[in-house]
Amino acid sequence: MCRFFLFIIFVFASVVSRAQEIEVCKTCEVKTIQAAVDMARDGDILKIKSGIYKEHDISIIDKSISIIGEGLPVIDAQMKGTALSIRAENFSVEGLKIINVGRSHTSDFAGILVSNSKNFELKNNRLDKVFFGILLERASEGIILGNKITSNAKSQSTSGNGVHIWKSEKITVKNNQVIGLRDGIYLEFVNNSEVIDNLCKDNLRYGLHFMFSDHDLYKGNVFENNGAGVAVMYSKFIDMHNNKFRKNWGSASYGLLLKEINDSELRNNIFEDNTIAISADNTNRINYIENNFRNNGYAVRIRGAVYDNNFQRNNFLYNSFDIAYTGKLNNNKFSNNYWSGYSGYDLDKNGIGDVPFRPVSLFSYLVNKTPEAIVLLRSTFIDLLDFSEKVSPIFTPANLIDDQPLMKRIQW
Amino acid sequence: MKKIIYLFMLGILMACSNKPQPINYGNDNCDFCEMTIVSKAFAAQAVSQKGKQYKYDAIECMVNHQLQQDYNMAVYLVANFEQPGVMIDVKTAGFVINDSIKSPMGGNLAAFKKESDVVNKGGEGIFSWEELQSNFLNNEPVITSY
Repeated sequence: MCRFFLFIIFVFASVVSRAQEIEVCKTCEVKTIQAAVDMARDGDILKIKSGIYKEHDISIIDKSISIIGEGLPVIDAQMKGTALSIRAENFSVEGLKIINVGRSHTSDFAGILVSNSKNFELKNNRLDKVFFGILLERASEGIILGNKITSNAKSQSTSGNGVHIWKSEKITVKNNQVIGLRDGIYLEFVNNSEVIDNLCKDNLRYGLHFMFSDHDLYKGNVFENNGAGVAVMYSKFIDMHNNKFRKNWGSASYGLLLKEINDSELRNNIFEDNTIAISADNTNRINYIENNFRNNGYAVRIRGAVYDNNFQRNNFLYNSFDIAYTGKLNNNKFSNNYWSGYSGYDLDKNGIGDVPFRPVSLFSYLVNKTPEAIVLLRSTFIDLLDFSEKVSPIFTPANLIDDQPLMKRIQW
Repeated sequence: MKKIIYLFMLGILMACSNKPQPINYGNDNCDFCEMTIVSKAFAAQAVSQKGKQYKYDAIECMVNHQLQQDYNMAVYLVANFEQPGVMIDVKTAGFVINDSIKSPMGGNLAAFKKESDVVNKGGEGIFSWEELQSNFLNNEPVITSY
């Protein structure tokens, strides 16, 4: 009896451990990827040789397999829907090129669709002319690494997002490039996830977009020339570190749009050449520490219902307006920042200016009320108005001051 | 002379028209949540009595805006989910809330023509414009704006 059991275990073990390799190419025994997937068992490796595979809706269901492209094989979905659709645990997709994903107003076709899945890796794939690039639904513990996703959202009537993650958790999005989609990376109902070292460029709407997502981190990303750099909305506990927000330029363009977000931190970010570097609306308990604001139209525009925001040790360098403000000070703090517009003195030579700095000029208050007034920027009369407001503030919040402005730029 | 005055008055009347302007997708921002309007299947718009245009990226934004501001609009239009880009009057529309609909602001809400099979099928999660508003009033709103 015992021997019989041992035999069973032995047979079982040998079946499991015999991970098969299946090669797919035009001259191989297996000619299509779908056929290879259908043959494969858990643990198998599918090697796709270079060539063009005109397939769409390749579906992988409940199979733990690795798909490895050798020599960048091309899956051409011929505008007919999703290229690769996966619902499984423990799988990986690597080194594929996916092109021509179908477009639709009502279905979300994607280059790679992963749903109800766990523990997976999507690595070094190239996606071009896609509708949605990588689409994750109800997935967890996944890694999206080193993919390059490009499309032409701007010239299309419908467009999708580069990396779109919905109702998922513990996802890492790292080292990807997303160029020319609707939103570069979009997270909706995604918790405990990380977005690290990505480049999001020339996207129609946002480089990175959070909706209803909590406890997430994004750092080391570059957001350039998007409709707006990053939008963080209806979320809390978001860490934003070491990102670059550049060249988000246009009448309604932002580097970073914060709307209804709580308990978050911005540290060591660089904002350069944006129309509005940060627009904050309805944000509570946010720390802005050691960020650089350089050459922006507005560095920070505070709109209504903003409480307990703390601006400390930031560099405000050559912005047209440092702060634009609506309403009362509301317990927000500005201290120990460096302001390039500061013209005070430091007689006791302790590095801190002896007179406080008022970052809200009368003109920025006026422009906030009447945007058309912007044509008067740099006129002598406005300088005069600003000066008189500085001496005796009437319109701008009187207590909105940095009472310890630094004399030298902060190095961080 | 009189003709010119009439023409002038006509001109003034025309300027106050409540005719909705088409949404410029990818450029116009939502008047409620500030997001750029990109999705033709979920957009909505309204025009006030005096002719001010309001545009929204999602129907839930229009309803929330309406409930919070209590404006009285002359025109309410919503995108027909089955014919993206075509705007229909809310009175001729049926609204569906279903988890399978991924509308931009997390409301799982889309509009269909009243004659559409989806609406006629009946069942839970199907509303008229009035029912939709009272449904939003009774439930805690997911999003707010100030």
